[in-house]
Amino acid sequence: MLNLADVPRGCKAKVVTVNAPGMWGMRLLQMGITPGAEIEVIENSSTGPILIRARGSLISMGRGIARRILVELISH
Amino acid sequence: MKEITVAVAGQPNVGKTALFNLIVGQSVEVANWPGVTVEKREGFREHKSYRIRFIDLPGTYGLTATSIDQVIARNFIISGEADVILILVDSTIPERTMYLLLEVLELTSKVVVVFTKSDMTHSAGVHINYDLLEKKVGAPIVPISIKTPDSIGSLLDKIIEVHEREPSKQLIKVDYGELEPFIRSVEEVVRESSLANEFPARWLAVKLLEGDRDLESRLLKRGEIDLLKKVRSIQGEAEEILKLTMPEAIATKRFSKVIEVLQGALIIKGMPTRGRGEHLIALLYKPWIGPLISMLLVLALFTIVFTINTGFPLNVVLESIGLRNLASYIENYSLSHLVSRCFDYLSQVTSSILSDSILRSLIVDGIINGIGIVMTFLPLIATISIVLAMLEDSGLLPVIAASMHPFLRRMGFSGHMVFPIAVSFGCNVPGVIATRASPNFGERVRAWLTIAFIPCQARLIVVLAFATALRSLNGLVLMAFAYATALLVFMAVNKSLVIMYRRRRLYEEPELLLEIPPIHAPIPRVIWWITWNQIKHFLIKAATLIFLASLASWIMLHYTSSLTYTDDYSLSIGMSIASVISPLLTPLGFNEDLAKSIGFALIAGFFAKEAVLSTIAIIADEEVPAKALNILGVNDAQLVFLTIFTMLYVPCIATLVAVYSESKSFKITLSSVALMMVTAYAISMLAYTVATALMH
Repeated sequence: MLNLADVPRGCKAKVVTVNAPGMWGMRLLQMGITPGAEIEVIENSSTGPILIRARGSLISMGRGIARRILVELISH
Repeated sequence: MKEITVAVAGQPNVGKTALFNLIVGQSVEVANWPGVTVEKREGFREHKSYRIRFIDLPGTYGLTATSIDQVIARNFIISGEADVILILVDSTIPERTMYLLLEVLELTSKVVVVFTKSDMTHSAGVHINYDLLEKKVGAPIVPISIKTPDSIGSLLDKIIEVHEREPSKQLIKVDYGELEPFIRSVEEVVRESSLANEFPARWLAVKLLEGDRDLESRLLKRGEIDLLKKVRSIQGEAEEILKLTMPEAIATKRFSKVIEVLQGALIIKGMPTRGRGEHLIALLYKPWIGPLISMLLVLALFTIVFTINTGFPLNVVLESIGLRNLASYIENYSLSHLVSRCFDYLSQVTSSILSDSILRSLIVDGIINGIGIVMTFLPLIATISIVLAMLEDSGLLPVIAASMHPFLRRMGFSGHMVFPIAVSFGCNVPGVIATRASPNFGERVRAWLTIAFIPCQARLIVVLAFATALRSLNGLVLMAFAYATALLVFMAVNKSLVIMYRRRRLYEEPELLLEIPPIHAPIPRVIWWITWNQIKHFLIKAATLIFLASLASWIMLHYTSSLTYTDDYSLSIGMSIASVISPLLTPLGFNEDLAKSIGFALIAGFFAKEAVLSTIAIIADEEVPAKALNILGVNDAQLVFLTIFTMLYVPCIATLVAVYSESKSFKITLSSVALMMVTAYAISMLAYTVATALMH
């Protein structure tokens, strides 16, 4: 298991838990980032926010939030 | 005629603004939701002996609110005030956007569904069998795109149909699987609550188990704390047994239900192709290059806007390369110049007609001048709105926000602040209001305190006049210096605030969470709707305020403290106030009279920054501000002081009103004044000292 911020560009991962505090967590779940959901990491440079695709839509996410999402890699 | 109230709800970016305007056309009324400054838009449409009233709700991802705007949407939906709820689903991403529909269907059956962007499904590789989906959902579904407005008629039919039919029982039942026993226990508990008279017990049970803050506080307000404790203990038990938090478990089940409903009705062929839009997103996402391109793009857009409106900065550039004629041509035919020429003409005509001196002064200097200031702002507000609406509608804005995020983080802001900061270069008032886009409260407080350091258009005009009045120093250098100082101060003050908050352990790292919608060419109709709304809003709100402020400054300039009319400004109310602050200006080598006059002009600038110039013009009895300053004998070092001071001192009254109405806090509002006054005085004193030293 690793956190979403560490998933390299182009990889797919499956969400295990969403651990973000307060309203951030609720917003993530409503945006479809729920345990079991598949996520594709589109861009991930070491400094900026990461870009992912979840349930068909693109989402930009700060690294602090991404670190709170635990995932399992599906493929490379 | 019978009336039907329809709430229009949908997730952000599903195309709600476009559809709302397609339905109601120009019959839009803008008001505020009670108690907040969030806009409430209503429109009407007559159909088959009904008057249908549409209420546009702020976009929301689900029925648990995560921001101020969303609280409004959620509370309106659950209040039952609407006869029919219109839920918008994005045809290109049905799985994600049906989540809100599902949550609403758990509560009520009075629902009509619109699948938006139905013309874009094919290029997205999405195929939807609407008939099958309609059967599975149980509510009528109408696919619509902005290019096929004919389906609006059938949408209106469906709304009336749903309104007239008997309320059926729940259309969709989500199977919460292993959560069901816990839901039933909570259901037993909430049946005792007074809330059970207003909402279905099962819905209450699910939302309370999910940890809905609003429902919890409603229970507390009704003194049902024991009940809440029981719910929380069931919640804790469930989380321990299932090893998942309740919000996670519930959201997961809802999405499973969405997928079950879509099964067979939705086919997605192949991978979504990477269009031109997605390549642009990838480019803006690159480190260093991305932020640079974003910044240049925003800068270019605002340069064009300002050039059309004031001639600046193109005129200065042309002048410096020797094209003096072209520069003055651009300046003379800029929008704000043309408007102010019209008003000058109007003043002249009125002056020649009216003979009574008090009445003439009131109408010409007070009223026409006041309306004139408002109207010179109007083209600027309109063009800025167009640019921002284009950035917003095309989907570029969220990408720019994401790419600037790492840069803004250094001064404690997230990418959500790109928009407020960019707008503030035009005018701080919409900038303050736009801070709402951020879900991070600490970040908003810091923005309210400091955003007025961003030099707005009005300050540009004043500073330009100061720069032209210089004798031996270069005006262009002074302007560049003033802008750089303002931006550096903005960054430095924010950095210090971050350090201060961090020491007190009040600092929360600014975070970003944004949906990036597909980039497309902006739709002119949508741009026009958004712009027209902004203009109306400006004319009603800001305009009345600016108008009243210019009346107030006319009174301050023409009445003595015993409230008798005077032509001699030195006897006026304003002057007696100025004499209190004039000692602060004497260290700059102003004599007592001049210190009072300048002090008075700076007080006038509190109402609107342009008033600094008009006041100096009145005092010196010379219409061209630069000449007026020379007549008064203001030297170059003093002009440097005035330039920097005008850049940094108190936000104008309109900005203060905006800060107060957003923060609802006198402490924050007054702190922003204090912060700016102290910083402005200190920095401009420093600049004066340096300038004096340089000239000797």
